[in-house]
Amino acid sequence: MDRQIYILVVEDELEVMEALVNDLEQFEEFFPIESANSSEEAKQVVKDVYAAGNEIGLVLCDHVMPGQNGVDFLIELQANNAQHEAKKVLVTGQAGLEDTIQAINNAKLDYYIAKPWTKEQLEEVVTTQLTNYIMERKYNPMQYMMILDSVRLSEYMRTHKITDH
Amino acid sequence: MKLNKKQLIGIAIGLIGLIIPFFFHLEGLSDAGHVALGIFFLAAAYWMLEPFPIYATSVLVIFLQVILLSQQGFLFPESTAEYSPNNYTEFIGTLASPIIILFLGGFVLADAAVKYDLDRNLTRILLSPFGKKPGSILLGLMVVTALLSAFMSNTATTAMMMTVILPIMARISKTDPLRIGLALSIPFAANIGGITTPIGTPPNAVVIGALSQQGINIPFGEWMILATPLVVIALLFAWFLLLKMFKPEAASVEIDMSGKFNTSTNAILLYLAFGATVLFWVTESFHGVKSAIIALIPVVFLSLSGVITKEDIRKLPWEVLWLVAGGISLGISMKSTGLAEWIVGSIEWSAFGTIALLVVFASVSVLMSNFLSNTVTATLLIPLAVSLATSGIAGDGFNLIIVSLVIGVSASMAMMLPISTPPNAIAMSTGTIQTSNMAKAGISVGIFGIILVVIYALFYWPFILN
Repeated sequence: MDRQIYILVVEDELEVMEALVNDLEQFEEFFPIESANSSEEAKQVVKDVYAAGNEIGLVLCDHVMPGQNGVDFLIELQANNAQHEAKKVLVTGQAGLEDTIQAINNAKLDYYIAKPWTKEQLEEVVTTQLTNYIMERKYNPMQYMMILDSVRLSEYMRTHKITDH
Repeated sequence: MKLNKKQLIGIAIGLIGLIIPFFFHLEGLSDAGHVALGIFFLAAAYWMLEPFPIYATSVLVIFLQVILLSQQGFLFPESTAEYSPNNYTEFIGTLASPIIILFLGGFVLADAAVKYDLDRNLTRILLSPFGKKPGSILLGLMVVTALLSAFMSNTATTAMMMTVILPIMARISKTDPLRIGLALSIPFAANIGGITTPIGTPPNAVVIGALSQQGINIPFGEWMILATPLVVIALLFAWFLLLKMFKPEAASVEIDMSGKFNTSTNAILLYLAFGATVLFWVTESFHGVKSAIIALIPVVFLSLSGVITKEDIRKLPWEVLWLVAGGISLGISMKSTGLAEWIVGSIEWSAFGTIALLVVFASVSVLMSNFLSNTVTATLLIPLAVSLATSGIAGDGFNLIIVSLVIGVSASMAMMLPISTPPNAIAMSTGTIQTSNMAKAGISVGIFGIILVVIYALFYWPFILN
């Protein structure tokens, strides 16, 4: 695999960040995890990842943070051509209706996880979103059968004409 | 386009192979034969080392033959005593040869079947009589997989069956060896099942294409009569082997196969087209209409009726057709330049008996296709076998059809490694099996396959063909 697909976690509170990264442990082998404490730091991470020829597959983002808030960060990310395909998930307890509408309309928010989350819920959301990402980007599904939704990836192979040779 | 070191080495080896015959004079080989040998080296190097996709090498092969070996090419515009060049249309015509059209018909049917879920619904119906016991479920899965892969690509069949077995596997204890047995049963059955019909898998097309160049037509139904008994035995062996190697612990297995047949007009038109086409194919020997002509029926009918659309046509696996056409095209100049005969003549075949020759061809074919594409294996081996048989060097017992079948069928018996076939790769990707599991079971099937093929070549095939 020449290209790495990253999971980016943006969260200002250290304990919450640690809990999130811990719960994502099983994905780490296939999808390296990058963390950022603020929107500003996250932008730098995004820049570095793409500059190295890699990409962000999924962003898990808090909303209320010092500096730019999570929704505005996601909107900015969506506007950027190279990165707008990354799956975007808000993990927050404090995004109001207005912010959430903004996120759905302008950042193409893919999922909203309300704090507190459970490990099972988080894993399920991450699996679904990364499976979507792999299929939308038309990457070879075989590399991800072990970790993502193997039934959906098989179905994708069935309908997308991979053949004998 | 970025090339890595391995690709660059592969490209260089191919080019050297292409050029070398220009600098040496090989006794008894025509000038054109030297050129054909160069093209053969290049094709073999690129197909085996894969610096380029194999279908790209195939069109390169057609192109090189047109510009170097055809009447319209640079080197041999005039006929000479030792070589009368083929018209270029013969080389490019392979892209629409009868076997390619037959495959096109198969692709269109398979594609429409997937589109309207015919494959999954048939699986549901056919699996239900097999009950809940692990052993019989395993047999049921293998029978259905083999049956579908006889008409659809082995790979597409495997992907579909994965959507059936993955939920089953999720409900079985992680330590139950049955999980490994299940994961291996699908690719094994798909590989073996592909042998059943001419359209089952591309190596069959290579065999039929090569034979038709020799003026031998194998009707669809006759191929099935030749192949089916072998497929049944190989399948039963694989089932028995997997059941013994990976003894199930679970007492019963639940399959949830809910769903119902699509009853839209388009779907019903597809069912009719599928049924009619297969019926006409299988009965070719009775009505005499060639299978390639029948293959046009679903193509015409399904596109006229809008069951398949422009988008569906664009998404057909055209590269497989290129691959097969390139191989057939290579066979043309190997024959017309006298290259194939020269290669054959340079080996002391009479030292081998007929049985030894069959064993060698079967073993080499299984071995090669474990590491290479099955189609490439058949493509590289068949011209040798054909000239060996037609030249009479190997003796009367060495029948052209039989040795071609030996190579074609053996190419589908390779399932030792994840890279052996795309179905193996899919099974491996689930993470349920270790490479060693696949290797042990795959080697057993491969060796059994060689023995089986040789026995059929000695007793059953001559009996049917005469």
